[in-house]
Amino acid sequence: MSFLVAAALGVGLLIGLPIAAHLLRRGKARERAFPPTALVPKARSVARERATLEDRALLSIRGLLILCLAVLGATPFVRCSRLSLTRSAGASVAFALVLDDSHSMRARGEGGARWDRALRAGRELLASAREGDAIAIVLAGKPARLALAATMDLNAARRTLNELDESDRSTDLDSAVGLARTSIESLSHHDKRVVLLSDLAGDPLPEGEPALWTPVPDLAKPLENCAISSAERRGRRIAAHVECTSAAAAAGRALQLVGVKTEQPVALAVRAGIQELGLDVDPKLEHPELELTGADALKEDDRAAVAAESAALGVLVAADASNASAETGGPPVLEQALSALGGNTELHPIALLPDDPNEFHGNALLLLDDPGGITPEARGALVAFVEQGGVAVAFLGPRAERTPLGATLDPFVHGAVHWEVKTPSDIDEKSLSWLGPEASGLHDLALRGRAGLSTSDLLGARVLATFSDHQPFLIERTLGRGALYTVALSTSVEHSNFPLRPAFLALLDYFLDEARTRRGATQSVAGTDWLFPLNASVSIEGPHGALAVHERAAPAFGTQKAATPTLTGRYTLRIDATREERVVTLDPSEITTQPQKPPANAAQARANGNGNAGSVDASPEIGFIALALLALELGLRVLRRVRRERATSAGALRSPAE
Amino acid sequence: MSALRQGLDWGKLAPLRLRAKSVADGVYAGGHRSRRRGAGIEFGGHRSYVPGDDLRFIDRHALLRHGELLVRQFETETDRTLCLLVDASASMSYCGERAPGAKYAFAALVAAALTKIAVGAGDRVSLDWFGGERTVELATAGGREAFERVVGALETAQPSANMHADLPALERAVARVERRAMRGASVVVLSDLLDLAVGAEEAISSLGVRGKKLTVARVLDPDEVDFPFTGPLHLRAMEGEARVETDAAAARPQYLAALEAQGQRWSERLLSRGGSLVLLNTADDPVKAVRKVLDAVGGVS
Repeated sequence: MSFLVAAALGVGLLIGLPIAAHLLRRGKARERAFPPTALVPKARSVARERATLEDRALLSIRGLLILCLAVLGATPFVRCSRLSLTRSAGASVAFALVLDDSHSMRARGEGGARWDRALRAGRELLASAREGDAIAIVLAGKPARLALAATMDLNAARRTLNELDESDRSTDLDSAVGLARTSIESLSHHDKRVVLLSDLAGDPLPEGEPALWTPVPDLAKPLENCAISSAERRGRRIAAHVECTSAAAAAGRALQLVGVKTEQPVALAVRAGIQELGLDVDPKLEHPELELTGADALKEDDRAAVAAESAALGVLVAADASNASAETGGPPVLEQALSALGGNTELHPIALLPDDPNEFHGNALLLLDDPGGITPEARGALVAFVEQGGVAVAFLGPRAERTPLGATLDPFVHGAVHWEVKTPSDIDEKSLSWLGPEASGLHDLALRGRAGLSTSDLLGARVLATFSDHQPFLIERTLGRGALYTVALSTSVEHSNFPLRPAFLALLDYFLDEARTRRGATQSVAGTDWLFPLNASVSIEGPHGALAVHERAAPAFGTQKAATPTLTGRYTLRIDATREERVVTLDPSEITTQPQKPPANAAQARANGNGNAGSVDASPEIGFIALALLALELGLRVLRRVRRERATSAGALRSPAE
Repeated sequence: MSALRQGLDWGKLAPLRLRAKSVADGVYAGGHRSRRRGAGIEFGGHRSYVPGDDLRFIDRHALLRHGELLVRQFETETDRTLCLLVDASASMSYCGERAPGAKYAFAALVAAALTKIAVGAGDRVSLDWFGGERTVELATAGGREAFERVVGALETAQPSANMHADLPALERAVARVERRAMRGASVVVLSDLLDLAVGAEEAISSLGVRGKKLTVARVLDPDEVDFPFTGPLHLRAMEGEARVETDAAAARPQYLAALEAQGQRWSERLLSRGGSLVLLNTADDPVKAVRKVLDAVGGVS
C-alpha cells in the first residue's frame, strides 16, 4: 500500500467527528429544579425518540459518506474484487457462459451455495460486457441445453440469467462445453472465450478451442455428502440406495422413515460408495419418505420419497428360445441384449401373448420376436396395453407369413407380410442416424431374409428407418399414449448379423427409453422428459408446485406434450381420467463423482488474460453511493426542518391559551 | 446560599419595611370591629336568658321591672391576635423567569403587610416558621416595635430544609401557634403546600379549631401555575428525591390536573375546619394578594 493510498484511507478516521458531535448533541436535557416535580408525570418524549432516530440515521449516513469519500480518494489505487472481462486492444468479445445447473451445484460452502456463486459470477462477467460483445448461455445439467443462443442483446442475457433456477439434474459437462463452443463458433468476433462455472464433477472436460476458463476455482472444492439416490417399496420393506462420497461422510449417519417413531434408524456402513439398506414399513403407510440423520454439504438429497413397488421398468419378452438363441445356447438374444443393457428393468419371458389386459399390469414394454400371429383376444389386450402408454415391438421373421387362420399381425401391420429371401445386404445407415454413432456399423449384415411390408402396412405409420433399397426397416404407429414399432428383421442370428451389432443394442435402448417416457416409470432421474400424446389432458403437481406441460415439436416424432421434472420428489400426474404417481430421483453418479482438476487449457486461458478476478476500479460505484448518501442526508435534514417548523407553529398557537 | 439570595431578590421587593407599609396603606387603614358580643365595654342590648349564660350578666333591673330573665350584652373593640406561620422550606426559594422574586420573598412581603395592617389596628402579631435557617420565632406582641421585629425576622430567615419527610417539625410549629393563638385569633399560613410530609394537611388544618380563624395562603410561582415548559425535561424536586424525565407537552395536562386536585383537597380539608384556602401567584400585584388574604380572614369591614 502506497503512502497515497494510506493517506486517502486515513481520511476515514474522520468518521470520529460526526460520532463525537452526535454524542455531544444527544446529551440528556439539563436537570432543573422544580418544586412540584412529584406532580409531573413521566412521559416518553415522542419528539426525543424521533430526534434520536433521526440522529442515528444522520450519524450513519455521515459516517458512510466519510468512508465513501476516503475510499473514493484511494481509488484507483483501491480496487474491488469482481470478475470482469479483459480485452485485447479494446476489441469486442464473444463468450459462452456455461452454467452447471446440476444437483451437485446446490451444495453449500463457505461462500454460500455453489449455484448462487456461479450465478453471481455470471452476472459480474455480464456487467463487464459492453455493446458489441456477444454472449451465449449454456446449461450443463443433463441434457445440456442452450439457454440463450449467441446474441449481442445484453439485456436478453441478463433476463435469461435471472430466470435460471437450480435443479437436481445430473452433469453433462462434455456436451455443454461442446454446445458452448459450437454456439459461438460462427461469430465474427476475433476474441472468443468459453467460461465454465461448474464444480467440474462430471466427465473429463473435452480439449478444444476456445480454451476453457474457470474463473471461480472454489466451486470445484470437494465436499462431504451422503444422499438417498433411490428408494422403492417392496411389500413390507423399503429398499433404499444410499451413496456417500467418503467414509467420513457416512460416519455416524443413519437412514430412517420420516415421521415414524416406531422403526429404528438403520445405520450407514462407514464406507464410500453405494450401499443398499432395507427398512420395515407399515403396509398401510401412504407416501412414505426417508431421511438421513445428521448433516452434510447437500441437505436437499438427505430426504427422498419412496417410489411405489416395481419401480423397475417391466419388460415382457416373447421369444422362441429354439429359433432366437445363439447356437451356443442360453437365453434368447433379446433377453441377453436386455440384460447387457442393464438399467432398472425387470424381464418377464412369456410364451404366449396375454389375452387379458390385466396381465400387462406392471409392464411398459412388450418385445415380440418373430410372432406367428395375434389372436383377436390377444390383440384386444395388446391394444388396451398400448393405448394406456405401453410400447410394443414386433421383430418380424419368417413366421410372419405363416400366420394361422383367424390370427393376423394387426395392429403392427394390417396386411399380409411376405418373407423375402432375396434382399439387399444392408440397412441404410443414414436413415438410422438419429440412433447415434452406433448406427454407423450397419454394413455387411449378411441378411438372409427380411419382412416385406406392403404399402397398406404403412397407412397411419411413420417410417423411421429403411433398407438401402428404401424398403421400410422400422415403422412406428402411435396408438393412444403408446406406440407400436415394427422391425422388418427378427432377432435370430440365423437371418442376419443385425442382433450382433451395437446398433441393435442402441435400438433396444431406444425402445426402453420410449417405454419409460410413454408409460412413465414410477421412478425417473431428474431432468428426464416425460412425454404425452398431444391430445391428452395432462396436469402435474410436483413437490414445489405445478409443473409446466408444454408442446414440443420434434422433426422425427411430430408434436408431443412434454414436461421435465428437474427437482427430486413425488409428482402426481393426471393424464385424462387416470391418476399416476411418479418419483423423481437423483442420478447416483451425480453424488459420488468428485470435482476434477481444471484442465491445463483452463489455466492457459487464465494466463492469456481472458478475465480478471481482482482489479476493477470501483470509483463509479463508490461515487454513486456517496451521491446517494448525500441526497439522503439532505432529504433527512429537510424533513427535520419541516417537522421543527410545524412543532414551533403548534407551540405558538398554544401559548396564548395557556 | 448565594443562589437562594438571588432567588429571594429582595431588591425588587425591598426594602420590605417600606414595601409592606405601602402595601398595607393600599389595602386598608383603620381598625376593624369584632362582631362577637360578650364581655366588653360598650352596652350592646339584651337578650333572653338561656341556661348556661353567665349569671353575672343577668339584668336585675329588667327582672324587677318586667319579670323576665334578660341578659345584658356588650360590644368590644377587637384585640385579636394575628398568628403568622410562614413556610421557609427549600421549595419556597424557587423563582421562575416570569416571577419578580422567589416565593418566600412574596410570602414575606404579604406577611409584613398583614403585620403592618394588624399593628395599625392595634392587634397583636406573632410569627412562627416551619423549615428555614436563621429563623426567629416572635411571641405575640403589638405596636410599632412588633412590626419592626417581624420585618427583621422575615429578612433574616433563609428558605431551606427538606420538609418532605419531616412531619414532626411541622407539628412542632403548629403546636407553637396553637399555644399562642387564643379563641378569636386569626391564623394565616403562608406556604406553597408543596413537598410537605404526609399528614401535613391534617396538622395545618387543625389550627382552625377552638374559635380560631385559619387562612392558608398558597404561594405559587407562575411556572408552577401554568407549566410553560417545552420539549424534553429533566426535573428535580427541591425537597425529597423526586426526579422525572418527561416531555413537557405530554405532561402538561396531567400536571395541571394534579395541581388542581391537590388544591381542591386542601380546600375541602380546610373548609371542614372552618378555614379557607387562598391562591397567590408571585407575579400578581401584592396589594391584591393581601386583599385576598384579608377577605379570607374576614377582617375587612
